[in-house]
Amino acid sequence: MTQYRTVNLPEDLCAAAEKRLPSRFDSLEALLSFLLQEIAKDEASRLDQAEEQVLEQRLRDLGYI
Amino acid sequence: MKKRSLVLVTVDCLRADHVGFLGYSRAVTPALDALAQNSVVFSAAIVAGAPTYFSFPAIMASRYPLALGRDILGIAPHEVTLATSLRDAGYTTAAFLAGNPYLSPHFGYEQGFATFRDFLESGSADTSVSGAVPSTNFLSDFNRRIQADSRRTGLTGAAYDALYFWYCQWRLRRENVSMDSLRRYPPADVLVDEACSWLSGLREQPFFLWLHLMDPHHPYYPPAEALSSLDKSDITPRRARFLNSFWNRGDIGARRLERHRDEIIALYDAGIFWVDKQISRLVQALQKFQRWDGTVFAVTADHGEEFLEHGRRYHSPTSLPEQLIHVPLLLRSPEVSGMRLSQEPFSLIHLAPTLLDAVGVAVPDNFQGRSHWKEISAGNLLSEPAIVECVASNNPFQPSDRMRPRLMAVRDAMYKLVIDFNQNFNGITDSFYDLKNDPGEHSPVPDGALPEVRARLFKIARAHLQQTQRNRNVELRLLAHLRAIQQSPAKNQSGAISALPPTGSC
Repeated sequence: MTQYRTVNLPEDLCAAAEKRLPSRFDSLEALLSFLLQEIAKDEASRLDQAEEQVLEQRLRDLGYI
Repeated sequence: MKKRSLVLVTVDCLRADHVGFLGYSRAVTPALDALAQNSVVFSAAIVAGAPTYFSFPAIMASRYPLALGRDILGIAPHEVTLATSLRDAGYTTAAFLAGNPYLSPHFGYEQGFATFRDFLESGSADTSVSGAVPSTNFLSDFNRRIQADSRRTGLTGAAYDALYFWYCQWRLRRENVSMDSLRRYPPADVLVDEACSWLSGLREQPFFLWLHLMDPHHPYYPPAEALSSLDKSDITPRRARFLNSFWNRGDIGARRLERHRDEIIALYDAGIFWVDKQISRLVQALQKFQRWDGTVFAVTADHGEEFLEHGRRYHSPTSLPEQLIHVPLLLRSPEVSGMRLSQEPFSLIHLAPTLLDAVGVAVPDNFQGRSHWKEISAGNLLSEPAIVECVASNNPFQPSDRMRPRLMAVRDAMYKLVIDFNQNFNGITDSFYDLKNDPGEHSPVPDGALPEVRARLFKIARAHLQQTQRNRNVELRLLAHLRAIQQSPAKNQSGAISALPPTGSC
C-alpha cells in the first residue's frame, strides 16, 4: 500500500497555482506528483535503457560480443 | 583582434545532391556555387536528426535530439546554445525564421536572440494541399455518408478517393490563384529584406544573424520569377496547385505518383533557386555595409527531401535514407581562398562548436560536438562516423506522440547502418549499406557479409545509447517539462496550443 507524506507549502501560493492549473492536471497534488516523478524516474530513460538492451542482444546474436 | 561576425543560413528540406557545388546538373545555385569557390565545402555533411525538430537541437545547441529524453522537443530553457554563447560574448544577435512552428519560442529557439522574428503570426495562406473545396452543409453531410459507405470495400474506397480528388480539381478549375496566394511560408526575399534592414542599423559590434528559409518546403509554390529562370514557366499557379494536390494524395502508390515527379522536382528546384538568389542579395548587403570581410558565413540544411527514391515523399522520418540525412554545408571564412573540399563525413553535431571556434569564441563545455575548425583550416578533416537519431512519428507536437521507438543510423565514409527499434522495444530491424558500391541504398549488404564493419557500427550505436543515458542533463529536462506545463492551457481556458503545425509538416 502506498504511504503518503505531508508537505507544507504556503497557502496563498497553492491557491494562486490552483487558479492557473494546466488542464492536464486535476489537482495541485497531481502536478507536484508529476514533477517529482520526473525527478525520481522518467519514462524516456526507461525506453533508452530498453533499446540499449535490445542492441546488446543483437550484438550477442551476431557474435560480435 | 576584432571579433568576427557570423551568419548562419539554414534551408529547410535542401538535400545535398540538389546544389551545383556538390554536382547537381540543373543550374539552381549559381550564387552558392560561386561562393563555394572560396569556401570550405563539406561533401558529406550529415544531420544529427531529421526532420526539423530532431535536427535543430544539434545545429543550435550541439546536442543530440534525444539526449534530454525523447519527450523533450527543442531547446530547453537556459540551455547554452550557439546564440547564447555569442550573445554572452558581446554579439548582437538576430534570427529571422520563415514560419516553421517547430522553430518558435514554444520550443525555445528565441533564446539568445535580441531580435527574433518567426513569421508565425502571418498564418497560412494555403488551402490547396488536400484539394478540399468549400461546400454547403448539405453537400458535406451527403459526401460524408458516401465516403463512409465507400469504405466498406477497398475497391469502392479507392474509387471514392479518386473521384473526390478529381471532383475537387474540377471545382477549383476556375478559381484565380497566384503562387504568392498559394504559398504557405514567407519567401526568402521577405526574410532577406528583414535581415538587410536589421544589418543596416548595426554599428561596429560583432553580430550573429540566423536565417531559416522555407522555400524548398512543400507545398511547393516558388515565385513565378524562379520558375521562369529555370525555363519552367509552363507550370502555372493552377498547374502547381494541381501538382501539389496530386503529390499529396495518400490513396495512390508511388508508381502513379511517379508521373508528376519531374514537375514536382522542378517546383522544388525553383524554391532552391529563389533561396540562392536571396542569399546572393544578403552577401551583397554584407559587402555594402562593409561587414563581409569580417564575417564567417555558413549555409546548410536541417534535412533533405524524398522524391520516391524509396517510394516515399516529403521528409517524414520513417527511414533515414541519404536523401534525408545528407545535406549541403558550405563554410566561408575570410582567410579561406580557393575551394577546400572536405570529403569525410561531418556531423552537424559539430557545426556549432566549429562555428564558435571559427569566430574566436570559446566553445561551451555542454556541447556534445567538438570544433573541427583547426583540422578544417589545416585541410585534414579526420574521418569520424556520424550518428543520426529520431523517433519515427509523423507529428510529435504533443508529448504523448513522442514516446515511440528510436530510429537511428551510423554512417561513416563508406558504410551505413540503419537501426529501427520495433514498437514493443524488444527487437530491431537493421539494414546495412555499402554506400560506395550502392549509393542509392537499394540493396542492403547480406547478413554475414563484412562482419567487422557491421560490428564496429553496431558498437558505435551502443556506445551512443550508453552515453545518452549517462550524460542526461536532468536539470534541463525538468526545465523543459516546466515550460511545457506553463504552455498548456489552464483549466478555465479553452483552446489548444497556438500555432499547431499541420500533420506531416516540417
